[in-house]
Amino acid sequence: MNKISRRSLLLSSAAFAAGVNLGIAPAFAQSDETATLKLQAFGGDAELGAMTNAIARFNSKYPNVTVELEIDAISGGWGDYVTKVLGQFNAGAAADVYGTAIETFQAFSSRNLWMPLDDFVAANSGFSDFAPSLFEQGSYNGAINYVPISWNNIMINYNRDLFDAAGVAYPVDGKWTWDEFREVAKKLTIKDASGTVTQFGYEVPNQNFFIQPWFFSNGTSILNDDWSASNMLDPKVAESLQFLYDLIHIDGVSPIPSSGATMDSQFMAGQVAMISRGHWIVQSAKSNDLNMDVAIPPSKESDTTVIGFGGYAINKATANPDLAKALILELTNEETQKEEGEKGGGVPGRLSAASTEAFLSYPPSAALYYQTLPHTKAVPSPANFQEVEKIVIRYYTAMMAGEVSIADGVKQADAELNESFARLKQQMGG
Amino acid sequence: MTAIDVSRNRPSELSRAQARTGYLFVLPTAVLYLTFVLAPVVVTCILAFAYFDPMLGSHWVGFDNFARFFSDRRSLQILSNTLRFTFFAVTFNVAIGLVLAIALNRMMPSWLLYFFRLSFFLPVIIAAAFVSIVWSYLYGDDLGVINYYLRLIGLPGVRWLTDADQAMTSIIIMDVWKNTGFFMIIFIAALQGVPKAIIEAAVMDGTPAWRQFVRITLPYISPVVFFCIVYASIGALQVYESIVILTQGGPGDTTRSLSILIVEEGFGSFQIGYAAAISVVMTAIILVITAIQQLLSRRWVQQ
Repeated sequence: MNKISRRSLLLSSAAFAAGVNLGIAPAFAQSDETATLKLQAFGGDAELGAMTNAIARFNSKYPNVTVELEIDAISGGWGDYVTKVLGQFNAGAAADVYGTAIETFQAFSSRNLWMPLDDFVAANSGFSDFAPSLFEQGSYNGAINYVPISWNNIMINYNRDLFDAAGVAYPVDGKWTWDEFREVAKKLTIKDASGTVTQFGYEVPNQNFFIQPWFFSNGTSILNDDWSASNMLDPKVAESLQFLYDLIHIDGVSPIPSSGATMDSQFMAGQVAMISRGHWIVQSAKSNDLNMDVAIPPSKESDTTVIGFGGYAINKATANPDLAKALILELTNEETQKEEGEKGGGVPGRLSAASTEAFLSYPPSAALYYQTLPHTKAVPSPANFQEVEKIVIRYYTAMMAGEVSIADGVKQADAELNESFARLKQQMGG
Repeated sequence: MTAIDVSRNRPSELSRAQARTGYLFVLPTAVLYLTFVLAPVVVTCILAFAYFDPMLGSHWVGFDNFARFFSDRRSLQILSNTLRFTFFAVTFNVAIGLVLAIALNRMMPSWLLYFFRLSFFLPVIIAAAFVSIVWSYLYGDDLGVINYYLRLIGLPGVRWLTDADQAMTSIIIMDVWKNTGFFMIIFIAALQGVPKAIIEAAVMDGTPAWRQFVRITLPYISPVVFFCIVYASIGALQVYESIVILTQGGPGDTTRSLSILIVEEGFGSFQIGYAAAISVVMTAIILVITAIQQLLSRRWVQQ
């Protein structure tokens, strides 16, 4: 994987600008071109609104280009989205530009669907506003495949009113340890006279993305570093799982995470004091007038949290590569990013868009989103991510429910994960 | 002589025109059937013997997909879950539907009759997805409605959906609540077809009610009972959305059904060939169970 530093991006951009002055003009689209571009994107209301406005700006420059936008809410998970996109390619009905997330990057790139974007990125100095690590993580076999959009790192979201009512101090600078967090969660758990919990201190998460900080902050991960094999047998994985299990069964601060719905609505209703979520929760927290703030996931060995981010890719078979690039420039410019970030669609990939007063005004510690960026690790997303996620969550929920012991659960999950990786290797011709 | 025979055997112009018209009438249905029923079945059977991914390279794998299914501890547990769900869901749906039908097949004020029929039938017409979401709130461990009332009367709460021993029962309860009204309506229609004269004669002879039911009513409605069992079995073997919404197949695999596994493998993991193989196995199981029911029906269904 090529390392792309901010410096090299700037140097490339400067070289490109010099090239333009020497008459080596880029083959960018002309405004009188007539074409139809298909954009397959993902997201909710915030993304849809920002994209629609970006397309309108694009059309003011390219009035004869029709952009057909299809947006997927990813209600069926990233596995369904991968299947949908692969189905479009198989049916010869692929879009020109795709928006997708890191969970799918390897699944798509390993099938060689995208156009390398190194020259395009180097040619546009504006991309230096993005953290270089986003381009690194958006590369496959040394070539940039994805231009970043926005990202989400999992934070602890907490209800300040419930902290105040319990007389619990907010975490100083948003930092705390596992033990401190545990004590806070206990204080925030309330039971009625019959012993029924009426307010939970924390929701032990039930989603693969949300649970990752509990491993990363303990210096471990469910997969090895290059995402090619299971790491479930690392004793630290079991230690993290045991901590979460104890929060549920020893301290009683969280319900057992079921495989079904998350507890977002209970958090909004003040029945759960803390949950692990990304910036996307800001949309509904705002609309619910929730007095919410964020803190860094508690640390044991480090305060590393997980990051997932979206990116745009261009179909390598598109008939209009220059128009597709021009559309991506509009979709990732500061204006679009600001609009997405302020509406709560994720943390803008551009630092400038994440530094606006509107973005930093809610939650009060919104600056922590960008501050934690250097301490993030990407959600493990191998080409068989869809299988990995299902295996992990299946055993995780069984272990948290006490249906299988943690010792047995990690062994069984390890065996199944490695079977999946063996199949992947075989499919890739390895 | 030969020429005369040929002309006699050849269809007349009129009958050929009638045949053409007939074929034209059948054509739209035949095309739809071939396109949306037969072709997918044939393609699924072919894919079951392949690894299918045009971008990574598809190839034949023989019986590997089937071998994987029958040697995988998970898939066998999921098959067992599906059969267990089918047995209990069919038994209770049909039995409770029959009991309700008998209870409502009697003289009572018409408004009361319609009230009861509507009450029991209403869950049938509500979307399963919506019903499942409502039940997930009822079944909640700590914040659920049922456990709230259990604790109010001093009983311990039940882990309806998070206990592996309980989760399948919870799903069956919801399924029976949702579907038994359908069978009730079918049985009410069947019971109204039982000749009243025979029942009246039995009553005049002093035949006890249970004997009337076993000796007269049940034989008369046995074809309908058989239909309900077959219909319920086919539906139960394909159970999907209620489980997905309530438990997503968990905890672990304890409530996962074959339909869920097919969708997860085919559309979640892009293991199209393996998903096709599971579909073929599931179809074979439905065929075998239906055939067994047909054979058994010869013994006890009144023709």
